[in-house]
Amino acid sequence: MDKIIELFNVTKLYNIGEKEYKALDNVSLEINKGDFVVILGPSGAGKSTLLNLIGGMDSVSEGTIFIDGTNITNYNEEALTKFRAENIGFIFQFYNIFSNLTVLENVELVNDVVRNPINAKEAIKSVGLENHINKFPTQLSGGEQQRVSIARAISKNSKILLCDEPTGALDSKTGIEILKLLKYQCSNENNTVIIVTHNTLYTDIADSVIKVKNGKIENIIKNDKPKNIDEVNW
Amino acid sequence: MLRRKFFRDIIKNKSQFITIFAMVFLGVFIYSGINSYMAGMQYVADRYYDENNFQDIWIIGTNFTKNDLNNIKNINNVRDAERKLSVIGSINNIKDSTIQINFIESNNISKFYVKNGIGFNRDIDGVWIDSYLANNNNLNVGDVITVKYGNETFDKKIVGLIIVPDHVYDPKSEAEIFPTHTDYGFIYLSDKQFPYKAEYMQYNSVMVDVENISATDETKVNIENKTSNWIAVTDRGDDVSSQTYKAEMEEGTTYVVVFSGIFLFIAILSVITTMNRFVKKQRTELGILKSLGFKNKKIMKLYLSYGFWISLFASILGLITGPMVIGKVFSNMVIKYFAIPELYTIITAETYFVSGIVVVVIALVTYLSCRKELKEKVVDVLREKSPKENKSNINFNNKIFKKIKFSTKWNIRDAIRGKARILMGIIGTTGCCALIICAFGMLNTINDYVNWQFNELYNFKYKMTLNRQYSEDNYNNIVSKYGNNTSQTLNVEIKNSESKEINNITVDNSNGLLKYTNINRKYIELNDDGVYITSKLAERLNLNVGDNINWHILGDETWYNSKIIGINRNPQNQNFSMTKKYLESLEINYRADSIYTNYDMSNIKELEGVDIIQNKDFIKNGTENMISTVKSMIIMIIVAAIILGAVIIYNLGILSFTEKSYQFATLKVLGFSTNKIRSIFIEQNFWVTLIAIILGGPLGYYITYVVFKMALSEDYDMIAKVDNISYLYGILGTLIVSYIVNNILSRKIKTVNMVESLKANE
Repeated sequence: MDKIIELFNVTKLYNIGEKEYKALDNVSLEINKGDFVVILGPSGAGKSTLLNLIGGMDSVSEGTIFIDGTNITNYNEEALTKFRAENIGFIFQFYNIFSNLTVLENVELVNDVVRNPINAKEAIKSVGLENHINKFPTQLSGGEQQRVSIARAISKNSKILLCDEPTGALDSKTGIEILKLLKYQCSNENNTVIIVTHNTLYTDIADSVIKVKNGKIENIIKNDKPKNIDEVNW
Repeated sequence: MLRRKFFRDIIKNKSQFITIFAMVFLGVFIYSGINSYMAGMQYVADRYYDENNFQDIWIIGTNFTKNDLNNIKNINNVRDAERKLSVIGSINNIKDSTIQINFIESNNISKFYVKNGIGFNRDIDGVWIDSYLANNNNLNVGDVITVKYGNETFDKKIVGLIIVPDHVYDPKSEAEIFPTHTDYGFIYLSDKQFPYKAEYMQYNSVMVDVENISATDETKVNIENKTSNWIAVTDRGDDVSSQTYKAEMEEGTTYVVVFSGIFLFIAILSVITTMNRFVKKQRTELGILKSLGFKNKKIMKLYLSYGFWISLFASILGLITGPMVIGKVFSNMVIKYFAIPELYTIITAETYFVSGIVVVVIALVTYLSCRKELKEKVVDVLREKSPKENKSNINFNNKIFKKIKFSTKWNIRDAIRGKARILMGIIGTTGCCALIICAFGMLNTINDYVNWQFNELYNFKYKMTLNRQYSEDNYNNIVSKYGNNTSQTLNVEIKNSESKEINNITVDNSNGLLKYTNINRKYIELNDDGVYITSKLAERLNLNVGDNINWHILGDETWYNSKIIGINRNPQNQNFSMTKKYLESLEINYRADSIYTNYDMSNIKELEGVDIIQNKDFIKNGTENMISTVKSMIIMIIVAAIILGAVIIYNLGILSFTEKSYQFATLKVLGFSTNKIRSIFIEQNFWVTLIAIILGGPLGYYITYVVFKMALSEDYDMIAKVDNISYLYGILGTLIVSYIVNNILSRKIKTVNMVESLKANE
């Protein structure tokens, strides 16, 4: 299968005061195109750091990162900005949508930075919010707000969707719906979806599970027959 | 531990706290600066007039005898009286000088304030000289000056450099409004030094000191009834010197009200918004303290201390430095024209009170914002407040709005949600723009006044002020050589149904060398069938065209009734005018006291029968010199306005930036370039600046209008004028300030750390 993400000996150091803190330590991994990947680990394990590096939000201290065959390791800020605009869709735990823009505007927003966006209304329809396009975020539930965030990522027509605890702020029923949406994007639209979580139940539905502990990859589990979301006892 | 939090919060939010400090400091600095110089002027003058026993009543006459003096002294309420002979002469040591020579018998009323040398002694054969005049001409105690009076020339040794309460404001003539103290001044001599025979000593004024100042009017009537030889009996209310000084103080009051009022208002508004935002931003931390078991009182005390200490320090610093800087600049300006003892600044109780109020208001706002948060349950305060639902009536789904580019939409929405912040930004920036325009407008108005007075109304090159005793021959010689273009000033008392007024009438026979303008500043010709009144005086006396006035010449009890046939406008004198022909129709003899000419008199030093020869350009230059002093004030206003604008725009930007850093981080994550985010950020401030410029233009004109309406004394009537270039300066100044500040702020966007900002938001 085509590899879309490759990390070679990636280390990320943070300076906290005079001390150096190793958030990631010599991490190497590969992720295939169209996979539904779960990065699992306890708090402080380095999951979000890993996601941020893949997404070009942060740069490595050591090592190399290839995204879709391109080495992004030494990209400057401008190049990383372009890279994020064209390749990455982010979905955050707390949605990060703009409270002063309507649903439609929040999604249309990406038209300013993406060359071939997916029509915003279609993206909104695909997440089931077609009846709410003129509402403001405060008029929506948490689940609906997260759908807006997903619609925005979809509209970007990105190859990779990076999700940091996407259901963390939602009740389980709404969380399941969001996961179904993400899974749909993966299986039907051939997007690579990477979810960071500490919820072990996610392991059953993922194509592969990357377990992170103390900044290192503990193990990578390939799941040949991932379960259907409805089959999991949430 | 809370103290540590206090200091760390201040460091963390240093930008906001620096702006709070700057705004409070600037507001109090300007207020206390202007107020202190004004209070100093008032205090110094009160003390000077009091300690030097400034005369209460002036009696002007022809020849006051010893007997007249004794009669005056015996009048009820008169404590003391002294005679004085004032004549015009010159000092040979000073080029082209015109000197008021005063002979006195004693000096207990309007006593000398000796700056150097000795006080008055009747037996000393020496001269006491105006210290301003002496300083400007390098004369000092011990020098000998040659005094020329009439045909006599005599040498006198200077025994004292003095100032006198009568000469606080002492210009050469009514045409010269800003005394230069270079070629005009006064000297005092003992009556024993009178160069002519004693029988020629004809005292022409008596200074009166009264017991009870409130009974002055009654005393004046008694003097008029019981004394002969008087022409006019006036009091401090009619004294040009003390009244001009008083007007200057009133002008100061206008500056306090207008300028420091604007600064304080904007400063407080800005600080209130910032403190309110700060407390709201600290909501969850406040909740944490609450959840830890800190009492509301303790939390309140902590949060109160942020606004309180910062504003207290800023206030104290403003209170100390305002008088030292602004007060000093104004005092130095004032003391150039007004001859008073050393002028110093005074911090009044009112200034302490206002500075205290600023601190209290800021503390109160902090208290109210904090109380609002503390009222909520711990569990609620711990949560970020969800943004308010948009309740605006604007339909954001209409076609036009949908077509607007994203950044504009975003900014419109943001502005609607942050109305207070935007409003504060608009008010502050409008203030900046308006003050710059006003500062230049003040300069335009004064230049316009100089042009109006000296180029439009004075159509002559030289003015000769005739000696009171000039002969027919003197007169004929002058007019045959320089033209028969003359005027006479009649000192009159006017009575209408409502009031009595001592003023003057210019009787015009200048053949167009004195011009007149109507209220629209268009030239008018005087008709021969009545009197004209200047518009400002007409307004004050509630008179109009068609009304009649009763008047008599001071020293003559014949009353006349004249119809007002026109209203003219004059920037420098508020009085009445009539033609020689009309005066003679009332059977009053015309005797010119001034002659105007366009002949070159540059080589003429003196003329028989003439007291003063004045070159119009010289008077004009004197006034223009004054403008250079005004310029220092204007520069001060501009600097303050620019600081105000910069601080407000910076504050607006920093508030906006702090509140939106997570939004900017999200935009960054989505792939928006730094430049694109910068343009979104700058756009809002640009719109605020644009609105401020639109509002600032008319407001700038209005402030200029108010300043000249309120600050000018009764005599002046300048028309507020703001040239187009001044509007351009204001607009450009505001835009440049806005551009620079926005540029500095927008650089911060580059520093937004996506990971940290997004995490912080969580």
